[in-house]
Parts: sequence; structure tokens; C-alpha cells
Amino acid sequence: MPKNKVIPIAEAMSHVKSGMSIAVGGFIGQGDPLTLIDHLKTMDVRDLTIYENDAGYRERGVVELVRQGKIKKVVASHIGTTPEIGKAMNEGRLEVEPTPQGTLAEMMRCGGAGLGGFLTPTGIGTIAEEGKQIIELNGRKYILVPSLKCDIAIIRAHAGDTWGNLIYRGTSRNFNVPAAMCADYVIAEVENLYTMGELDPNAIHTSGIFVDAVVRANVEYCTLREEKFNA
Amino acid sequence: MPDAKQTIASRAGRELEDGQIINLGIGLPTLIANYVPEGVDVVIQTENGGIGVGPAPEPGCEDRDRANAGNQPITLVPGGSYFDSATSFAMIRGGHIDATFLGTLQVDEKGNIANWIVPGKMLAGMGGAMDLITGAKIVYIVSEHCSKDGASKLMKQCTFPLTGAEEADVIITERALFRRHPDTGWVLEEVATGFSLDDIAGCTDMAYAVAADVKLDAFGA
Repeated sequence: MPKNKVIPIAEAMSHVKSGMSIAVGGFIGQGDPLTLIDHLKTMDVRDLTIYENDAGYRERGVVELVRQGKIKKVVASHIGTTPEIGKAMNEGRLEVEPTPQGTLAEMMRCGGAGLGGFLTPTGIGTIAEEGKQIIELNGRKYILVPSLKCDIAIIRAHAGDTWGNLIYRGTSRNFNVPAAMCADYVIAEVENLYTMGELDPNAIHTSGIFVDAVVRANVEYCTLREEKFNA
Repeated sequence: MPDAKQTIASRAGRELEDGQIINLGIGLPTLIANYVPEGVDVVIQTENGGIGVGPAPEPGCEDRDRANAGNQPITLVPGGSYFDSATSFAMIRGGHIDATFLGTLQVDEKGNIANWIVPGKMLAGMGGAMDLITGAKIVYIVSEHCSKDGASKLMKQCTFPLTGAEEADVIITERALFRRHPDTGWVLEEVATGFSLDDIAGCTDMAYAVAADVKLDAFGA
């Protein structure tokens, strides 16, 4: 039988140390691992580098960790939904590295897939190509993007079994799938926990092979309404 | 004066062709979904991980796990599906999207587009725009003709960092429609009701030719 990976949240999160890189699943609140982020808020860690599509939504998500001064750098495609991030950047409290959304997703996927990098046409002729190697292939220019390996990934799923097989719901799948692939230690919060064998093997989106620890998600966040993001 | 955004969205809707797969940017472009002509069926992809986006849900039926890239609640039409971000951008970069509609801060004579950063002032991030501009077969810029300070958004040369180089194919504003031809550049094809050829010349900084069969009173109320 595959191993039971359900452990207390504090034990799972004790793997996070100052200076580490963390891939974070979710998309402006859709599928954001808010339970794990809430726990991170209570921990004494700093100088973290975050790889995420965004920094959360309004006042919820990684933006809260930025406010606490725990984050050194955010690599993201979009920070327009969290005004605090732009403010922190302008005040010199945070480094932001804008990265095209498809490039960020593929950096994570490639890192998990054992590939050194990939060639993308996205960003040719823009500042996205600055400092990057340009390779011409079959008459088209591409940017060589190195793949991403992170120390930790934190993700959220709608359902999971005790081995970490995961099923997402709706548009909450997003970056949770590639983030799960790219880190040395992957922590998944699940809204509904099942024993092994209960989930349909045909329906699994993330295989438990990618997951190291499973914790219960705060179910309050399953029905989080728009206005709660302002809290 | 009719609402500029609705005028633009309504004209953009008339560009849609039956069977097209399209992606609509956040804000104004999302309105185009309300102007799909009768008899035309398009499939809407949303880059956060859905295809077959349908009407907004009834009040009270919103679901946090079903939203578009602007976090507005969505429904899916029958046949729609969800996927992860790596798959979504495989669709986008891979040339599987027929048309993308995006707002902009600036667009220029060469078809350069700048819409993600105002240096020193505003950094929204490019989101999925760089990938969409690169991968979609037709890139539509749907935007008000001038910025809030009255300056033309249709410039000789973009001054902000680019989102895409030489990628804009069509510009639709509340005043005019331009199409870019690889050899000859931008051509003014349509002028909206309430504007003259001189009006357009007066508020457009980029060079363009006027089509021989340019249509006046072509759209707008």
C-alpha cells in the first residue's frame, strides 16, 4: 500500500526555512492554498522567494506575507489585483520579477519533468528577452528559459486521498498542477480527504507521486465570497 | 454620446466568425461576449483554465471555483472543460486560439503593443497577454482612441515597454477601425458615427492609409 502522507500542518510546514523558494498554486484566489499561507503567517521565516501567478487577491494570499516582511522576492505574471505589492516594490521592501503567465507555468512543469529549460516565442522583442539567450530555430526566434526547481510547493485541491492523489474543481486547477511538479517538498491542502481507493483512478489530476504531505484545508475557504478578500 | 466601451465591444462582436475559438482580455474585451451576432457560435477560452465560457451565473449561483481570469463568476456551456495553466498556455502559444481581444495603453505604427507597465507609476504585470499576442492567429486591440489626458493611444512609436512586437492586426476604437497589412501598414477602413476623416486624422498619431472604400457612419449610434 502507498504511504499515508497525512500529517499535522505544523509538521508539514516545518520544512519551510528562511531563504527558501516556494512555488504557490492558485490564481487570484481561485484555488489559493490559504490554509497553508495562514500557517506561514504564524512562522518565524523570512527572505522567501515566491513563484506564483500573482500574489493573491486584494488583501488575501501571499500579499499578507509581504505585509509581514517575510518575502524577499515575488516572481509573478500579474500583481494588479494586490495593490500592496506595487506599494512594497516602490518602497523598496520587495523585489518583483514580472514573468509571462505561460512561461511561468512551463518553467514549473519543465522543472518537474526533468527538463533543463524550453524555447518560447513569447516575449521576443520585449524586455522579457533581456538577459536571456535567444535561439533561432527553423526561422523563428525563441527565448531560452531555464526550468524552475523550488524548495517547497504549497497547493490546494478539492479532493485528495491519503497518498496525495489530487482532484481539483473548476478553474481552481490552474497553477496547482505545475506547482505540484516543481518542488523538492510538496504540501497539498485538501478540502475533502479520502482513503486510498476511494477516488476514481481515471479522474486524478495530480498523481500522489508529486506530493509529500497532505493536510486538511480550512473548509471555510471553499465558499469564500468576494467581500471576504478585503478582510 | 453612446458609451464608448459598448460601441467598441459591439463593433468587435461583428468581427466574430462562426466556429472561432477566442480569448477575451479583462475589462472592456469581456463585454464582447454580449455582442456575438445571432447565428454565430464562438467558443471562449479563459487563460486561467477553462474553455466554453458561457453567460454569467444567476445571482446566488456564483461559485469560487468557476471564474474567469478577472475573477468574475462564469458558467460553462455544454462541451466546456477545465484544465491547468500549463495546458492552457499550450493552447495559447500553440496556435489553437483563433483570435484574442485585448485592451491597451499604447499601440503603434509597426503594430507594437504596450499594455502592462507604466515605468515608475504602474506595474500590473503582463499576465497572459504576451503569450496571447504571440500565439493567437488574429490580435485585436480594442481600446478607447485616446488616453484620459486626451493623448492618442495610436502612436508613431510606443514609449512604454512592449507586450508584443509587431503583433497587432486590427484596432477598434469608439471612433474608427484600422487593419494592418504586412506590406502597407495600417489602413483606416471604418469611421464611427459622429466622426469625420479629419477628426480621425486629428486624434491619431500613427501613420495610416485611408481605404478607397472607407465606410463613414460605419458603427456606433
